[in-house]
Order: sequence, then C-alpha cells, then structure tokens
Amino acid sequence: MNEIVSVEAVTRRFPLNHDRTKNLVSALSEASLRVEAGEFLAIAGPSGSGKTTLLNLIGCIDQPTSGRVLIEGVDTSTLSPSRMSVLRREKIGFVFQTFNLIPVFTAAENVEYPLLIQGIDSRIRRERVAQALEEVGLSARANHRPDLLSGGERQRVAVARAIVHRPALVLADEPTANLDTHNATQLIDLMHGLNRRLGLTFIFSTHDARLLEHTERIVRLCDGQIQSDTQTQSNSLYANIQNEGGIRGQVLASSLS
Amino acid sequence: MGKFLLLAFRNVFRNRRRTIMTLIMVGGGVTGLLLVGGFFARMFWGLRESTINDGLGHIQIFTAEHFNREEKHVLDTGIDNWRQVAATIQAGRHVRGIAPRIEFNGMLSNGVKSGVFMGSAVDPVAENSLGFTPRLESGRDLDSKSGGEIEALIGAGVSRSMNVKPGDGLTLLAVTSDGALNGIDVQVVGVVNTGFKEMDDRYLRITLPSAQRLLQSNRVTNLVVGLDQTENTDLVASELTPSLRGQPQQLVLKKWIDLASYYKQVRSLFSTIFIFLGVIVFFMVLMSSVNTLLMTMFERTREIGTMLAMGTPRSWIMSLFILEAVVLGVLGAAVGVAGGNLLGFLINHAGIHLPPPPGTTVPMAFHVLYVPSLMVGSSILVTVSLALAAILPAIRASRLQIAEALAHV
Repeated sequence: MNEIVSVEAVTRRFPLNHDRTKNLVSALSEASLRVEAGEFLAIAGPSGSGKTTLLNLIGCIDQPTSGRVLIEGVDTSTLSPSRMSVLRREKIGFVFQTFNLIPVFTAAENVEYPLLIQGIDSRIRRERVAQALEEVGLSARANHRPDLLSGGERQRVAVARAIVHRPALVLADEPTANLDTHNATQLIDLMHGLNRRLGLTFIFSTHDARLLEHTERIVRLCDGQIQSDTQTQSNSLYANIQNEGGIRGQVLASSLS
Repeated sequence: MGKFLLLAFRNVFRNRRRTIMTLIMVGGGVTGLLLVGGFFARMFWGLRESTINDGLGHIQIFTAEHFNREEKHVLDTGIDNWRQVAATIQAGRHVRGIAPRIEFNGMLSNGVKSGVFMGSAVDPVAENSLGFTPRLESGRDLDSKSGGEIEALIGAGVSRSMNVKPGDGLTLLAVTSDGALNGIDVQVVGVVNTGFKEMDDRYLRITLPSAQRLLQSNRVTNLVVGLDQTENTDLVASELTPSLRGQPQQLVLKKWIDLASYYKQVRSLFSTIFIFLGVIVFFMVLMSSVNTLLMTMFERTREIGTMLAMGTPRSWIMSLFILEAVVLGVLGAAVGVAGGNLLGFLINHAGIHLPPPPGTTVPMAFHVLYVPSLMVGSSILVTVSLALAAILPAIRASRLQIAEALAHV
C-alpha cells in the first residue's frame, strides 16, 4: 500500500480569548486517519465538526496541539516553516470554499501561479496551464479575469490551479459551498474524473449529503471526533485507476497487485 | 520576475480611487520639490551670472601679498607688470578678455559737503567687452577716450547725499602710494544703481589712468578675467596656474566662487531650506503611505493566506508589497515630474515677478529652471519613502498565520 497521508491521534485546541494558556476549545480530538494514494475521500460533517481544522492540519497550514501528521511518510512536525512551505508547494494542491483566485490575474495566470513559485520554465508552464485548463474544460476562458467568470467556472479554475503542478494530494475545503446544486455536482464529478484519469488523491470536505453519493470513502466528523470511516466503492476506484492508466494510478496499482 | 512585476503593477490599480489619491499625493510632493528646487536653481544661476557679470568675472589675479598682509599704502601689494601678465593670460583658451582694476578709498566733496567713497578704477573698454556694464540710473558710462574733464560714475546714494547729478563736479581726495594726500576734480557723467543700498551710498568709479594719476602709481590691484562660459572656470584655472609661476611677482589666482561670499551664503541658506522641504515631503509621503499600504494589506489578508498556503515563500510576499510600493512611487514620481514641468512651463511664461529681495531694489523674475538631477533626486526620494512605508505592511503580510488569514472575512 502507498500511504500518502497519516494522521495519528491528532488533537487541535484553540484559545477562546487572548489568554493562550486557559479556556482552550478542542476543534479536533484524537483523530486518526490513513489515506492511500489515488483515493477520493470525503470528510463529512456539520458546521463546526472540525472538517476545516483536519484539512488545515493535513495541508500543513496549521500545527496539531498533540499527535502527528505524516505526508508521504514525513512527519510534518519535524519540518521547519520553509521546508513546510516547500512541501505545500510541491506536494499539495488546494481548493477553497470561496475560490480564492488572485483577482488581478486571468484564469490562465491563476493556474500558472503554482508553477511560477516553483520556478518552472515559462515554456513548460504554458504547456501545463493549457493542459490543466483543458482538463477542467475552461480553455476558452483562459484569458478572462475571475470577475468575468461564473462561480462554477471560478471553482474549476481553482481546481486547475490545484492540479497543474501534479501534486500528490489535492485538498478541497467545502469546494461546493458557494455553488448551486448543478454546479456542485459538476464540480464533484470533475474532481472525481481527475482522480480517476490522473490518479490524483483528493480529500474534500462537505456538509452536503447529496454530494457524497459518488464518493468511495466517507469520513464522518462530529464535535471534533471521527465518528465513522466508510468505504463504499473502493474496488471500482482502483480498477478505474488501473484501466485509465494515470501515473500515480500505475504506481498504486502495481503496489496493490 | 516578469509575472511578479505584472502582479505588483496590477495590484497597484486594484483600488483605483485610492491609487489615484496616492499618486496625487506623491506627485504633488515631487511637483512641489521640482518647483521650489527649480526656482532655487534659477535663482542660484541668476545670482551666479549676475555676480560674475556685475564685475566679479570668472577668475581674478592678485599678488600673493594681497592676501598675506595689510597694505601700508594704497597699491602696496598691487601687480607691477600687469600688462605682461594680462598678455600671458589672454593667450589662454576660453579667455574672452581681461580687465585691470584698482580698488581704493578716499573722500569726495561737492564744495559744501564731503563724504567717503569706495572707489574702483577701470578700463571702460575692457569692462564693456566683458559685459561688465554698470546699471545706470541716469547719464552715461565712462568714456576712456574723453580728453577733457576726468569722468566719474557715482552711486545713487552718493548722488542723493552730495546732491549731484550728471554734469556736476566733485573733488576726490586720496592718499597716494607714497603716503601723500592728493586730489583731483572729476565730472559726474552717470549715476549707478547697484541694487544694494549700502553699496550705492559709497560707490565711485573712474578710469584707470585717472586713478593712477590720483594715487601716483602704475600698479593695479587685480586683473579680472572673463571667460566664454562659467562652466570652463575650473579648466582655465588649472591651465593658468602654471603660467603664472614664471612671473617676477608671486601671483595667485582666485576663482569666482572663492570671492563670491554673498553667493555662497545665499546658496547655503536656500539649500538648507530645500533640504528641509525634502525631509518634510519624505515624511509626508512615508506617514500617509504606511496607512494606505496597511489598509491594502488587511484587505488582501485572505489572498495572502491563499498564496502562503500554496507555498509562496514569505520573502516573496514581502518583496511583492515592497515592489508594489516602488511601482507606486515610480508612477507618482512620473506624475510629479510631468506636473512639475508643466507648471514650471506655465510659470515661466506667465511673467510673474517677486518683490525685490532684501538689500536689493530690483524685482526678481519668478522663473523655474528644469534640473534633470532634481527630477531624478525627487523621484528617488519619494520612491524610497514609499518603499520604506511598505516595510511594516510587508512584514505583517509575510508573517500572517495561514489558517487565520484564510478564515479572514
């Protein structure tokens, strides 16, 4: 098995006021989770259940109060801030609830940004941006700024930005929360398709039960604790990966066989 | 780097109204500096040229003794073989002409009343050829070929106090080079207004032969050298110095700047005022920009959080903010330079005159000089000021906690 994320007994507490030693509230308690490469995993739960906190910890943009998070076997608590930054830059793609596109950049420039900060050559950047925009069906809107795109299109640009640098892991925090049902379903289908075609590992959070229908694995959170971890269509995922021949899929498939 | 600069440039225009206000403020500062600096530069230039053309010349030659000891008698430290010295200097490059002079003091009388004078004796032809023409209020200049009465120019103050006008006579009394008292009668041919009241109250000018007759000496106090351009002063001075070493008397050369103490005082005073103004503009831009840039930083908190989440190095975030401030500074400077030049052009063509400066009687034209170094300096000043103003917001932005920044509303 190719384990990409390992969350081990992680607790995250936040201070309620400025006094950082007293009145701590637990956003996540003793949560443990393992994610294999190529999985399409949903973290479900009501608002305030700890979904964003868990994604932030997996995405290395927050540190646990106790426990540890391993990304591809590396204990993130041992990394310096700059190494953590490099890890996020190279291994993780983010999709946010409010899209969080850079408003002064066009769709193509937004997608290009992760490659820019990696110092990738402009010719290769252009190729990969075109490829990523094609993957999300937005080639025709490449030169539009975010304010000229619909909500669904903006989130697809955000997905393209998250996958353009071929990360090991894509984290999407409530990616459908600002979309109508039609666009939300389309987005989940898009992410699912990318998961199958490219073998990308997706972890997304949602509190919308309707979006969980096509998800192979659902981790349910409530009050900061993992209540259930349900595998629904695991076999079909790996079969699809193997059939459609994604790079990571091939690695994963060979490790599974 | 190109995309990064593009991002900075576009970010500058995100909030157009705020950017325009900042550009107006920065541009206004630069415009103010250019107008004041340009006016001062024009004033310095005018004062320099008028100081030189009013008779100081570009270079003056004295004997070394003139500066080493006080004269026992008049022309005691004067130049003896001044004609040969003048011929040597005249052969040099950029030399337009040479005017020998005698400086002397004495008393004058109209027969009823007497007073003191500070006299100078000149060769009118040489003086005129160098453009050293006295500002005549009435009458005419000295005529070197006049065969009759000894001619004299007097200051407006002397004219008033002695109650004489062109055509009237005066008697001059002075101590000769031997220490004896001598006197000559002169005819006033013109009244001069130097622009300085204290000078006008003592001013007297006669021809060189008349003064040599009065003082009983063939010497001159100094030789005034006029050049084709003020900018050639240093070059000519360096070329003349060796040729003066071979003279029987030890001679020294003084550049106009060494002798123009009033010019130096004025320049020093106004330069200090200008530096003070520059400091005010610097802090004005700095303080007002810190607030604007901090506001920009707070508005973009979530965006910065997103960039940091994607792995953007914190140093890049800091650089981005400083780069945006520099872009704003450069644009503001461009606006200021354009505005300053346009306003300068309008002022120069409006024919505005200022009241006469203290100690003078001539109104001063309000002209602004275009000084490229001032444009560059002012632009650098505001750009540096903005870059410094961006440091605090840039540090804050680069230190944002990512999770908190992403949750920022």
